[in-house]
Amino acid sequence: MFNFILKRTLVIFPTLLAVSFIAFFVIQLQPGSFLDSYLEDPRFSQETVTRIQEQLGLDKPLIVQYGLWVWGIVTRGDFGQSFTANRPVAGLIGERMFWTVEIAALALIFSWLIAIPIGILTAVRRNGVVDGLASFLGYAGLAIPDFLLGLLLIALILSLNGKNVGGLFSNEYIDAPWSFSKLLDHLAHLWLPIIVIGVNHVASLQRQMRANMLDVLNQDYVRTARSKGLQERIVIYRHAVRNAINPLISIAGLSFAELTSGSLIAATVLGLPTIGPFLYDSIKAKDQYVVITLLLLSSLVLMIGNLLADVLLAIVDPRIRYE
Amino acid sequence: MRTHKAFSVMTVSLVVATGILASTSLAAPKTMPDYSKLGIGIGKPGGSYTLVLGDSPQSFMYYGAIDSNAQSVTGQMFDGLIEYNLASYKIEPALAESWTASSDGKVWTFKLRQGVKWQDGVDFTADDVVFTFDQIIVNPEAKGGDNDAFNFNGVRAKFEALDKYTVKFTLPVPNGAFLQKMRTFILPKHKLEKFTESGGAKKADINNAWGTNSNLDDIVGTGPFKIKSYVPGQKVTLVKNKYYWKEDAKGTQLPYTDTLEYLIVKGPDAQAAQFLNGTLDSYNISGAQFPDFKTKEAAGAAFKVIRSNALFGSPPHLGFNWNAKNAVLARVFSDLRFRQAMQLAVNRSRIIDTVYNGLATLPGHGVAPISNYYFNTTKYLGEFDLKEAGAALDAMGLKDTDGDGVRNIGGAGNLEFTLNYGEDSSVYKPMSTILQNDFKAVGVKVNLKGIPSSTLLSTARGQDWEATLLAFGDQPDPDLRKPIWQPGGALYYFHQATQPATPGGKENFKAMTSWEKRVWTIFDKASQTTDQGIRKALYEEWQILFAKNLPVIMIAKGANAAVVSNKIGNFIWNLGVIPGYNPVPLVYNK
Repeated sequence: MFNFILKRTLVIFPTLLAVSFIAFFVIQLQPGSFLDSYLEDPRFSQETVTRIQEQLGLDKPLIVQYGLWVWGIVTRGDFGQSFTANRPVAGLIGERMFWTVEIAALALIFSWLIAIPIGILTAVRRNGVVDGLASFLGYAGLAIPDFLLGLLLIALILSLNGKNVGGLFSNEYIDAPWSFSKLLDHLAHLWLPIIVIGVNHVASLQRQMRANMLDVLNQDYVRTARSKGLQERIVIYRHAVRNAINPLISIAGLSFAELTSGSLIAATVLGLPTIGPFLYDSIKAKDQYVVITLLLLSSLVLMIGNLLADVLLAIVDPRIRYE
Repeated sequence: MRTHKAFSVMTVSLVVATGILASTSLAAPKTMPDYSKLGIGIGKPGGSYTLVLGDSPQSFMYYGAIDSNAQSVTGQMFDGLIEYNLASYKIEPALAESWTASSDGKVWTFKLRQGVKWQDGVDFTADDVVFTFDQIIVNPEAKGGDNDAFNFNGVRAKFEALDKYTVKFTLPVPNGAFLQKMRTFILPKHKLEKFTESGGAKKADINNAWGTNSNLDDIVGTGPFKIKSYVPGQKVTLVKNKYYWKEDAKGTQLPYTDTLEYLIVKGPDAQAAQFLNGTLDSYNISGAQFPDFKTKEAAGAAFKVIRSNALFGSPPHLGFNWNAKNAVLARVFSDLRFRQAMQLAVNRSRIIDTVYNGLATLPGHGVAPISNYYFNTTKYLGEFDLKEAGAALDAMGLKDTDGDGVRNIGGAGNLEFTLNYGEDSSVYKPMSTILQNDFKAVGVKVNLKGIPSSTLLSTARGQDWEATLLAFGDQPDPDLRKPIWQPGGALYYFHQATQPATPGGKENFKAMTSWEKRVWTIFDKASQTTDQGIRKALYEEWQILFAKNLPVIMIAKGANAAVVSNKIGNFIWNLGVIPGYNPVPLVYNK
């Protein structure tokens, strides 16, 4: 097991290097340059264009730009400067990381808490009224884009004279020190993004869980357990669910990556200060070091998530051995 | 002509100068002019004003970034030597109380307002002014500097402090728009010198000053508000500057509100929601949002929808590449008769109705209709008339010879071109389809190509394009837009043959048509003349040449609209990012 983890950890570094290399050159394929959007401003003279290119190292060959960037990370832990903000990339990402992880983690937990029980229930009561209703809601949740759900909920809240229609705090609490009332205000804002972002997952997870359960419920060992005269509750939870949940652990590892990227359009509609819109703007502005660092981060989290999922699988399922 | 009516800026400044010099007064706050015409009255101090930013500011260093969000915030923290009258856009004293120009227009002397303090209590003096120009504004490495504005044919203007409250600027040549440029912000030497060459730093270091993670106590201006806190991605909070140097007619110190807050909210939907829930006190809306808010207003909502014609803003135009790679097309595009025919097929009233929801007017030519320099060129716009457009193309010999519904150019194939438009813009997209349809009706085939709006200009400045929709911002003085409209200028993108062979070289006069040569001379003369009567006459001549010769076809000038909560008084529409035009200190809570 230890060897397995060590090997997988060591693979992470060359993978990240490859990801950053590809990402760096894919960004360059995008038409235009970082300085394009400034050209219209009369303050931006031709001389300034040249000088800024030198300042940012954009006059150097691409491979040199990339090499210097990697060298900076290896030697100084410096992920480069943001062109737009004149600041190190790491700090800018750090400012947005907490809220991104908070919202994504809560949305994930929310979707699991809803989806797993519904999945089990609909499998056990297959083709009943509950199953039909849950499937309908599941498909609806899957079909409605998250931003549309966000807009609809905002319109609903506004029509009920509600106040909390986006952001993470009311205006007066944003720059106030933490207090109990600030926490309450935060919670009153938080449920909206969690539902909007979580609902999409609910539907797919629920379908997955239902299918797994149906599969397992037809297995011989479940019939054996039943014929032993075990209580149905024990058959379901101890025998069926424990086996049905394995594939979902792999899925959980994959959804880890969403912790850092988050939902772009929903975050924009709901006014969330998260990584998604930041990445989008940086891509648009060709702020290259911000973009690759973010892509690097989400690949890292994805790989760690997968590793954790594999380890977890080995723990919950004694049949799986990596040696 | 009409020039004698034009109120000369020079005359104003000299009158102000003599008046103030005679009274030798000390600390003199500026009393706000009477804006009752704009519905502005005496307000009451206290309360707060909450506005929106479309994104996080990139920096708090005005000259370190070109970013409208940063400009909105810093615009409340700093002042220039002069500012605009909010109603007439005429130049008024700000940090400078008076000024004089030498008779040859090359030497400008500014008397600074005494008793003005930086927000940390340090005196504002001539040293700050000289430092700001010398070390920051003309520093070509400052991302948001303004190097070119003070660089005349390769010679830089000279900035000197004569005494604590007098500065002298010496220009190598007279410059007609010089006073306009004095609205740029003055920054504190005692806080920023360490980021400049005179403080021992590298030229590029100025861009790293006052970043969004710096200590906010170090950021001090002379403006109405001082920055207090910044929560990344969420909010910027400013508080009233207790040293501010403006007062209302009754002597109450401005600004009225104790705090000014900028909530960071992206996108029109989220912004609308934050306004409707009462968090935002006002915000600028687009033509697309106008009907919805108007309906809510009529239904008794607690806000007003305000519409106003303002000077700033970018009217879109249709440009053809006279030097297109396809030589046959290039010849057609550079033919005035073709551009005239195409103008007849531009359905401006439909565009104003459907694209802008009526929130637009007919365009001027390089000058906004509300500007002092505006000359009414409406009659040259012509009426939308497809039949006449078709006849004009027929007369050029561009006829559909193969019967496929598209005109042919001689024997060289269809009259067909690609039109670039901003795919992420709510204005360009529908506008391009309207043009495509109407042009099709006169037998001109348009292939639409959507590209990101931010790359429209850089694409047009290259060679690989045929036609484009584009927009340049209007400014109060045409000299400030010289690189765009003077033939051979860096942004004279539609006729690149006139541009210098090497950057910084001489324009290629041989490539210019006769009217282009005249326009070149007009801009050159007007730039170097300080007599505002002569300048106005020159720019009127240019607007007529523009309207007649159609270097580009102007389409419409979007009007401005905003929604304002009923708890707010003294609202004046503004873009929020224009130095020298800041009505926010007058806003109060009812």
